[in-house]
Amino acid sequence: MNPPTLRLDHSAGPARVIASGDWRLVRMDRRPLWQPQPLPQSVELDGDGIERLDPSGAWMLLRTLAAAGVTADAIVPVNFHPAARAILELVRQNLTPSERMRPPASNWVVQIGAAAHRLAEYVGAALSLVGRVGAECVGLIRHPQQFRIKEFTAQVDAIFVQAIVLVVMMMFLLGVVFAYLLGRQALQYGANLYVVDGTTLAICRELSPILVAILIAGRSGSAITAQLGTMKFDDEIDAISVLGLSPWGVLIIPRLLALVMALPLLVFIGDLAGIGGSMLVADKQLDIAPAAFVNRMVSALDTATVVVGLGKAPVFALFIGLIASQTGLRVRRNARSIGLSTTSTVVQSIVAVILLNAVIAVTLVELGI
Amino acid sequence: MWHAGEEVLVETRAVETRLGGQYIHRGVSLSVRRGEIAALIGGSGTGKSVLLRVLCGLLRPTAGEAMLFGGNVWAVDSDALNAMRRRYGMLFQDGALFSSLTVEQNVATPLIEHTRLPRSDCLQLARLKLAMVGLPPDAACKMPDELSGGMRKRVALARALALDPELLFLDEPTSGLDPVSARAFDRLLRTLCDNLGLTVLLVTHDLDTLLSIADRIIVLAQGKVLGSGTLDQIRALDDPWLHAYFSSRTPEVAPATPSTQLS
Repeated sequence: MNPPTLRLDHSAGPARVIASGDWRLVRMDRRPLWQPQPLPQSVELDGDGIERLDPSGAWMLLRTLAAAGVTADAIVPVNFHPAARAILELVRQNLTPSERMRPPASNWVVQIGAAAHRLAEYVGAALSLVGRVGAECVGLIRHPQQFRIKEFTAQVDAIFVQAIVLVVMMMFLLGVVFAYLLGRQALQYGANLYVVDGTTLAICRELSPILVAILIAGRSGSAITAQLGTMKFDDEIDAISVLGLSPWGVLIIPRLLALVMALPLLVFIGDLAGIGGSMLVADKQLDIAPAAFVNRMVSALDTATVVVGLGKAPVFALFIGLIASQTGLRVRRNARSIGLSTTSTVVQSIVAVILLNAVIAVTLVELGI
Repeated sequence: MWHAGEEVLVETRAVETRLGGQYIHRGVSLSVRRGEIAALIGGSGTGKSVLLRVLCGLLRPTAGEAMLFGGNVWAVDSDALNAMRRRYGMLFQDGALFSSLTVEQNVATPLIEHTRLPRSDCLQLARLKLAMVGLPPDAACKMPDELSGGMRKRVALARALALDPELLFLDEPTSGLDPVSARAFDRLLRTLCDNLGLTVLLVTHDLDTLLSIADRIIVLAQGKVLGSGTLDQIRALDDPWLHAYFSSRTPEVAPATPSTQLS
């Protein structure tokens, strides 16, 4: 079949454009279809030579003539095959204006305003979530039988039990590395025994709570966001509401409570694992027998340190749970949204944990604990 | 000259498929000729959508052959398969639009990927197709999650038509559309088929579509083709499900007579 061509023919009186060849999308490319030439306002379009025509080809044809100054309505088709004529008419009816329908322009003022609006809306939604969860908790205190034991235990299994091995491994290795590096310094001053103080205090007060919280934020926080987000996507949360149940009571409270209960336990397990790791290094590198290690630990580690470390955990857990639930419930109906939300949960949780830790540290120092 | 090319565009020969241990198809043999609108009907769960997926190269059959344009979909190399894919368009049941692109970018994607036209031309052709399926111009810059279900289906049809294909697979195109839009959809399909020689294989439950535009009806039951022919031929088949299907229209309710009206 022949390539698509256009030819201007003045021989038969009024200006007549002759189209011929294969006018289908597969034959269209960037090359211009003819040399641009001026045309009168109204022309006849002879389609006798058109071998094939599809809507894209018809559009190209009309567009080429429009570029030469002939609007689509001013074209008079002659000698067209009935099917080709029908396609041309179909395209003519559906031509849209050539300027794009642009979304409204935005400059930096608009963007700042939009960002402030989004922030205000986010804070409002967060407060609303806190309020709803609080109200649900009050309701549960009054009607304890409504508490979802099964969901709670399932979440405890997912959040706590399945994380134990990971926490032990992580904190053990951390204890090993920390004791090793501290030990190298202490050896230079002959202050081997103080490695016990250093490692146990640091692990119990700061390292275990922060690292375990970050691990749980990444593991359980993102899982909660993904679960709630997928449920929102599928209208499952609406289905729960329509059945007369409260999504907050059914879904969010069990997860929050599971987190608040699990994190201190995991921090404690992390403490033990970290101390275990330090003990191993102290024995091999610093010649501190385990019995001596424990002795020194009992005198160096005061109750306040351990309690502070364990006490930070529920606070972190609460924030992680609220952030994860909030982000999960705000997921939009598109494929990127779940990925963006889970990433956002993890980042927000980690920042929250670090900030809270700093606030708590300063407060306690001021209080003299 | 207008409708040149292979005569039989779609053909399956004794296709068998299994999903999750269950046999969905037990030897499905059908064919669709150029220029006809073939409707695939059958009860829920009889594997109509699965058959479309087999033909599109998305699900491998356990036995039999699935032929498009005379070539075996599952036996050709990837270049030949891609060449085949440019000749047909598929409309998925829920639209399957790309959620991170705008509507016009969705429709323009096949054009941008498979033609050498400049991007602005691709976007304008996309807008033409959107207008052809009945969407207003302001829908072009919206994201798919801002559209209703019916609008999403129409965008998906526009995308299936983007490369002006010779063959269309439609999976329940009118489900979720209001009756006016559904009939407009049917009319558009008929216009394109009559004037372009477009061939359509559509899976549908919509009796009105069958009655108004289907040239041929293929009935799938118990994993096989129960019958294939015109509406009258299918109506004449002796099958309880078919009888129930064709008489499923609720009869017109007669207007109340004066004596039953409350005074």
